[in-house]
Amino acid sequence: MKMSMKCRYGLRALVDLAVFSEQGHVALHEIAKRQEISLKYLEQDFSILRRAGIVKSVKGAQGGYHLSRPASEIRLSEIIAVLEGDLLLIEVDDSEQTDIRSFLTHSMWTLMNRSVQDILHSLTLSDLVDDYREQQLGEGMYFI
Amino acid sequence: MRISTRGSYAMEAVLAIALLPGDHIVSIREISDRTRISDNYLEQIFTLLRKGGIISSSRGAYGGYRLSRSLSEISVGDVLRATEKSISPVICVEDPKSCRKSVKCVTRNVWCRLSKGIADTVDHISLADLVKSFEEETSPGNTEYSI
Repeated sequence: MKMSMKCRYGLRALVDLAVFSEQGHVALHEIAKRQEISLKYLEQDFSILRRAGIVKSVKGAQGGYHLSRPASEIRLSEIIAVLEGDLLLIEVDDSEQTDIRSFLTHSMWTLMNRSVQDILHSLTLSDLVDDYREQQLGEGMYFI
Repeated sequence: MRISTRGSYAMEAVLAIALLPGDHIVSIREISDRTRISDNYLEQIFTLLRKGGIISSSRGAYGGYRLSRSLSEISVGDVLRATEKSISPVICVEDPKSCRKSVKCVTRNVWCRLSKGIADTVDHISLADLVKSFEEETSPGNTEYSI
């Protein structure tokens, strides 16, 4: 079970954006530099996030991105569903059904999928921004 | 983010053994008949389960596989850990050294919480629990499943 790179990098970039876009929009190359993520990679992620209505872009030489809503209104469940395609820990096997397979699907796997969804639904981007600020206060330089 | 087919098939196979009466010694063929998972795939899974201490094997004419502990002593988490490379969504949860940023990383907190949530769920469900609810659901007295 692994989170994709798209999702891990995308979430880090979004926390960076949330922290640094308070004074206006942020250029992707700045995020790329701070987070050490390739610009090409971020461009792909941000085009997905823009179409999903999580970020907005400002065109032009001084252009960049900002969040489309306050960070406290953007749940991690929404972000990760967009970047991963869904929030399922386990895909329902639609090959031949047996009594054991259908039992595990509706009892065990559904329960696990729900526990992941509940945790991600309970967290917003602003929780991560708070974590970041708290850590910054604690000791000098912190990563996102 | 996925539990692999290997992990979910391993759960099916282990539950199939657990549903047999008593301290039953099973063959790959019996479990394959019950779960519809191929013999070849089951052999790979059983090797992992044996290494992970979930099942033990005995050789000879009456040889086969059996669970190595009682049903209440084997959790879903045990089976998944034996067959999945990791049940954490991101490698840095188990191995902070995998990323030089991990000590001070904010997004790692999310992966750790997620990992803990998943572990809490799978570690608190034993094979005994699954057998009990399986039998409750499929018993003739259960109107939902009776014909």
